[in-house]
Amino acid sequence: MSPSAGSASPHPSSQRLMKLAVVGAAFLVVAGGAAFYYASKGMKSGTSGDAIVVTIKDGTCDPNTISVPAGRSTFTIVNNSDRALEWEILDGVMVLEERENIIPGFSQTLQAKLKAGDYEITCGLLNSPRGILHVTPSAESDAEAARPALVAYLGPLAEFQVFLVTQTNALVKATQALDDAIKAGDLEKARESYQKARLPYKQIEPMADRFADLHNAIDPVADYLEKREEDPGFTGFHRIEYGLYAKNSTDGLSPIAAKLVADVTALKDRVRGLRIPPEQIAKGAGRLVGQIAETKITSGEDHYAKTDLADFEANIAGVARMMALLKPVAVQAAPAVVADIDGRIADANSALKALRGPDGFPPYDSVNAENRKALAQTMQALAERIGKLNTAVGLE
Amino acid sequence: MMKLKLTLSVSLLAVAAIMPRVAMAEVSPLDLVGPIADYKIYVSENAEKLVTNTKAFTDAVKAGELDKAKALFGSTRMSYEAIEPIAELFSDLDGSIDSRADDHEKAEKDPEFTGFHRIEYGLFAENSTKDLAPFADKLMADVTELNKRITDLTLPPEKVVGGAAVLMEEVAATKISGEEDRYSHTDLWDFKANFDGSRKIFDLVRPLVEKDDSAFVTKVSGNFDKVDTTLAKYKTAEGYQLYDKLTEDDRAVLAAAVNTLAEDLSTLRGKLGLN
Repeated sequence: MSPSAGSASPHPSSQRLMKLAVVGAAFLVVAGGAAFYYASKGMKSGTSGDAIVVTIKDGTCDPNTISVPAGRSTFTIVNNSDRALEWEILDGVMVLEERENIIPGFSQTLQAKLKAGDYEITCGLLNSPRGILHVTPSAESDAEAARPALVAYLGPLAEFQVFLVTQTNALVKATQALDDAIKAGDLEKARESYQKARLPYKQIEPMADRFADLHNAIDPVADYLEKREEDPGFTGFHRIEYGLYAKNSTDGLSPIAAKLVADVTALKDRVRGLRIPPEQIAKGAGRLVGQIAETKITSGEDHYAKTDLADFEANIAGVARMMALLKPVAVQAAPAVVADIDGRIADANSALKALRGPDGFPPYDSVNAENRKALAQTMQALAERIGKLNTAVGLE
Repeated sequence: MMKLKLTLSVSLLAVAAIMPRVAMAEVSPLDLVGPIADYKIYVSENAEKLVTNTKAFTDAVKAGELDKAKALFGSTRMSYEAIEPIAELFSDLDGSIDSRADDHEKAEKDPEFTGFHRIEYGLFAENSTKDLAPFADKLMADVTELNKRITDLTLPPEKVVGGAAVLMEEVAATKISGEEDRYSHTDLWDFKANFDGSRKIFDLVRPLVEKDDSAFVTKVSGNFDKVDTTLAKYKTAEGYQLYDKLTEDDRAVLAAAVNTLAEDLSTLRGKLGLN
């Protein structure tokens, strides 16, 4: 960069000199651009070497329809209009690439990596008619879509991390409210807070259950403990649930609630540091749905509050979110598998919805064996379809 | 001004041409998940702040409170300017929220000239809130929609990392010249927000670059510090002084730092394997 980039000078004479220099430089660039432009005019469809030259004048692009193979393309935009302009490649309303502030008489170069499809290009002012950019499939892009590179998952993985942060924040907040209600001895409020706090936990269960120590402290079920409800290891959500719903009291729950707040806060911090490779998303989601189908529907977890259906619904919401995040990448490699998963998620949601009454979900012990079996089959079908995803996109 | 733009566009071309397309082997895409997630949270927080501040601003416009609306203009824009690399991905909203008169055929008189700068034109050039209510309502609806779309958007990683340079180019192209906020001269507020937004991206990926290229990190930090120190001189209780208070010397310091930052930060994508 020229050290004189701060072009302002206190001396009028040198300013004038500078102006001259600028005009001179501008002339050279214009002349160069024009030479380039005329040289490129002779070639078919405005290509020059590897670059596609697009000239903008009077609110139109020349050429106005461009066709390039999928992959990396270079565009040289020549501004032959009398106003500074920006040039954009648009996918609907979304800007894929842009160059701003192209000065009249100047050109700028832009590199874009484009997927097959039809796009628009801007040609001057905001209301100027747009040109068309056809991107045709290429062997290279087809191969890339069939087996997406790790970098293709970066966006979805970051968004999954945001989802985990949002849910763990909600979990900590709701657990604090539960702790407050218990401390205040307010049974009704505590029950309400308990149900609220379960939902974010259930949404992120495929990742939360990876931390064995915290999982055993936050969500153990009495069935798996030697002395069941009397076991000192019986802590966390279900211990509180036992107090609130089986004993109808907040008595003695304060230390348990305080410990739960500490544990979900630790969970939040640990989830934040998780380094999740892309294959873990479908793996975690498939494993959880499989557990629902095989054991949770039969035995239940919420023995005292009987809110298992709300748990399942939150589990499926989390799984649906995980699948939606992978979709833009996965759909190119395995459209049929993705459509199948979408269909099974819809089935699982309808099966749950069918069990809902006017006041929400009924107590889980009122769901008969036939309905449980049907629900389990729907979950099993979903787990199987999710199980196919990683292989279909080349992740395992 | 022309000189600066010229130098910048030519130098960017040069950088683009010689920029090596090799990524540092040490940076795995998985290393970038955390920074990009953090940036999404930063963008979301700013989008929410934009909605809150725009409500207060447009309420003042609609209530005919000229002085209050003028006072809120500069600060309201900051959360938009800070996240511009993402906000401007939505071409329709960027056009209706932040286009300048030059982007429209009939300039200030064009019916499609809306958003911040249309309201700015009314408040500062015409010195009145008259007839601004429809523009205020439209701006409010547009920033609300922007917030919603940002929530649903999976950020394109290359736009996040590339955004650090884009913000500096934006400053060089339209802020240094004082043309962005030409009616209100609140350019230094935008300037500060663009810098903060660029520095946020840099700080998030800094640990990934630092181990292999500490000289680069030191140079970029130094230039960010230089800009901060220079801008701090113009800080007032409410925000920043008007653009015409900026001395020629300071403008030169800022311009040089902006250009170097734009050039240096444009290599970030390559360094992180995102070209």
